[in-house]
Amino acid sequence: MKTRKRTLEPATESIPNLAPMVDVIMVLLVFFLLGATLNLSEEGTLQTELDPSSGPGEGVAFEVIPSVEIGLINVGDGDGVEIMLNNVTLPEADSFAALRDSMRARLLGGSDPTNPVTITAQTGVRWKYVIAAMDAALRAGFKNVQFGVSVAE
Amino acid sequence: MFRMPKPAAMDLNLAPMVDVMMCLIIFFLIASEIVSAENLKKLVLPDAAAAETVDKSELGWRVTINVLPGSEDGGTPAEYVVGEWDGQQVVQRERTPEELDELLAAHAKRAEQAGQQLRCVIRADREARYAEVEVVMRAAAKAKIANLVFAAEKVSAEEAGP
Repeated sequence: MKTRKRTLEPATESIPNLAPMVDVIMVLLVFFLLGATLNLSEEGTLQTELDPSSGPGEGVAFEVIPSVEIGLINVGDGDGVEIMLNNVTLPEADSFAALRDSMRARLLGGSDPTNPVTITAQTGVRWKYVIAAMDAALRAGFKNVQFGVSVAE
Repeated sequence: MFRMPKPAAMDLNLAPMVDVMMCLIIFFLIASEIVSAENLKKLVLPDAAAAETVDKSELGWRVTINVLPGSEDGGTPAEYVVGEWDGQQVVQRERTPEELDELLAAHAKRAEQAGQQLRCVIRADREARYAEVEVVMRAAAKAKIANLVFAAEKVSAEEAGP
């Protein structure tokens, strides 16, 4: 009797195609890299609540009796600013750290942090100095920052 | 003898389509970033260490006003750019101080009718003058918008300062 020899077929090696996966991963990588570089700076907010019962909306001038009054006076052509705290000029111009320390000392001396702090600036004062003054007041611990009507230069 | 061919399984390769879709998404994302940056021109916010990062949705009803400073010699006035919904998308429109009064009053009226609290977000350039920003604060006060939010660049305590 003739017997047929049975031979096993050679084992085939399955190779997954990785190219599409690499493509997708590269695209994702580029996407996240771009996303990271486009948002380098972080935007934050400083909030304040004005008194709605008075002011220009009611057509009358209003007077706030602040516990702290910060005055900003333009120096040069907007290059600097002189800082006044309750009508006393601080020795160092542009030093908002000194302003913060003085305000913190007031709080330690017993001032109420919810009392209004009014910032009054001359019309030509740069906005960065106004925000720096607000920042100093908030960092010192005061909660209620208001803005006064500017005085003529 | 004729034999019917074995039916072959149809193999759909979706990888190229996914590649192309991803590229399109990235293209439109970058394009929209560039367009919005162009609309706002160059606006550099002031630094503040006390600035809080808040999610825009937490601000609720709001109207955002961008203040770009005028020229040093006073020849070019400050620009007030407001993001407004035109029915399809948000567009940046330049407004005069007089128009700001009307716009904020209209927004405040709409918010009051809806029983919502309106916030006025002021994004002023760090080199803008106080008088230029005061225009917006005055308009907000006229419209009886009590909540003012000032945008600032959040920095660490060491970096803070003008």
